[in-house]
Amino acid sequence: MQKNLLVDSRRVGLTTTAQVWEGQIRRNLRRPQFWFGATVLVPTILWYWFFAYHPIYAAIRMSVVRYNLLLPETSPFVGLDNFRQLLANGVFVVSVRNTFTWALLLVTSMIPISLGVSILLVAVWRGRNFYQAFVFLPVVMSLVAVGLLFRMLMDPQVGQFNAILESLGLPGYTWLSSTDSALVTMVGVNVWKGLGFYVVILTAGMLNIPMELHDAATVDGVNSWQRFRYLTMPLLSNALALVMVVLVIGAMQEFTSAFVLTNGGPGQATYMFNMLIWEEAFTQMRFGTATAGALMQFGVILIITFVQLRLIRPAWSY
Amino acid sequence: MLTTLLGSNWRRRFIVQDVVGQVFIHAALIFLLLAALVPLGWMVFASFKTYKELVTSKNMLPIVWTLKNYAEISARVNFLSAFRNSVIAATSVTACALLTSAALGFVFAKYRFWGKELIFSILLATMMVPFAVVLVPLYITIKNIGLANNLGGIIVTGLWSSFGMFMMRQFMESIPSELLDAARIDGASEWLIFGRIVIPLSLAPLSALGIFVFLGNWDSFLWPMVVLSSPTTKTLPIVLNGLRTLWWTRYEMWAAGSMLTVVPVMILYAFASKYFIRGIAMTGLKG
Repeated sequence: MQKNLLVDSRRVGLTTTAQVWEGQIRRNLRRPQFWFGATVLVPTILWYWFFAYHPIYAAIRMSVVRYNLLLPETSPFVGLDNFRQLLANGVFVVSVRNTFTWALLLVTSMIPISLGVSILLVAVWRGRNFYQAFVFLPVVMSLVAVGLLFRMLMDPQVGQFNAILESLGLPGYTWLSSTDSALVTMVGVNVWKGLGFYVVILTAGMLNIPMELHDAATVDGVNSWQRFRYLTMPLLSNALALVMVVLVIGAMQEFTSAFVLTNGGPGQATYMFNMLIWEEAFTQMRFGTATAGALMQFGVILIITFVQLRLIRPAWSY
Repeated sequence: MLTTLLGSNWRRRFIVQDVVGQVFIHAALIFLLLAALVPLGWMVFASFKTYKELVTSKNMLPIVWTLKNYAEISARVNFLSAFRNSVIAATSVTACALLTSAALGFVFAKYRFWGKELIFSILLATMMVPFAVVLVPLYITIKNIGLANNLGGIIVTGLWSSFGMFMMRQFMESIPSELLDAARIDGASEWLIFGRIVIPLSLAPLSALGIFVFLGNWDSFLWPMVVLSSPTTKTLPIVLNGLRTLWWTRYEMWAAGSMLTVVPVMILYAFASKYFIRGIAMTGLKG
């Protein structure tokens, strides 16, 4: 804005005056901006200090002391002992393995399914919004309600799922009640609940690709599979990268659906790393090891996200 | 043939161009629609069944409709206060987070000051930290300021949203600065510019962000479970989760409780599904 004024005043030949003007105008304009900026930024920085930075700092400190609940100031420094204790915990390896398996299964089922549904939605002539509204419906349902609902449906004795299988002459499935099937079933429930979210993002991404590119490809005699493979997929990589990163970060921190659906069971088949952190913190009251675990998780998520972004960063844009 | 006849631009994108293909696509989409609806339908009907019927009959529809489950659940569990708590927490967090995100987005998009990019990245960096890291220290903070077992404890931690700040900045970069300068020349204060120009121009991303934040908070589970301990302060997901232990395998009670939790949002969704979907699509494309 100041630039425009300067140009205008130069045009009328007031170079020296213009500079004086500009300084004055800038000062006059800057003062209210300063006050507005300060009123916004000062509370922001205070809030971030109290509810973000200080807790992070406290977490790092907490992870190297044996936290004394009654007199926190007197907690003795124990170095990396909390990390060592956590690694020695019997369920640590189980929970890490479960979490990685879960994340892998969730990503490898969610991405292809949501991509397939998005293709259907983009390809349909009529009723895209209608279908999308229903595919999205489970997303707005509370995850706890979804958990309860599927526990009812998957009850081995009275559940509807086995009733349907029986009526088709098939044997009943164990769903959440067996160590072999619980994790896979949990993935299924989460795909049902979360699918709409990713479908909406991917569909929007596909519809966002300029029509001209499709036209150009068609003129060049490209068939629809090639168009999907060499045009849609590469140009979708932005949205796909986002979906992938969001999905993995969320999966690594899974808590609610495991807590409601299985409570980590049967046995420890669906015991997630975040449940270990939660149990260490609020059942065992070992704040140090809980926070040490969380910091380990942070490191792992950082590395995975970094690698993901490196691998799938789009090479071009439109 | 049909596509050339209709000649509309939007059809050329589509991979399947023949009518038979369309029939298959519709069949697949109807299957998906049913897959989303049937479990919900089962929940609706189960909530009107008696326990005996639920465990014996394979019918989806109740033979005898009963409202007893709802009566029993209202007598034992205070869903009304849970609902009120959830509404208060989710709406106040959403309103505050929208205001702070818009203000920060405006400042970071349109102001020039020393250290802007540095401050922005330091604020944004908090998004990377998993919630579990701050879970315990944040709980101690909340306890120290006297907000443990208080709805304020889950509201105060949601007043700012780093994602919202990022998203609003992205959008507000595209608002022409000349517009704001014109208003400044006319003597408008920064507050007026923010309230009368910037906010009205950002209603679309703001409503998208609002839906995103609201859904996240409405569904929030771990943090409320840690902070809220007495029945009168608990939010809906926590109370609903309590039914698992209160009525072990009494599925008709679970269904009734789930109905009470889900129906209000479903009503909202029925009227505004377009905005929900547009909101998520927009946050996806911006983020």
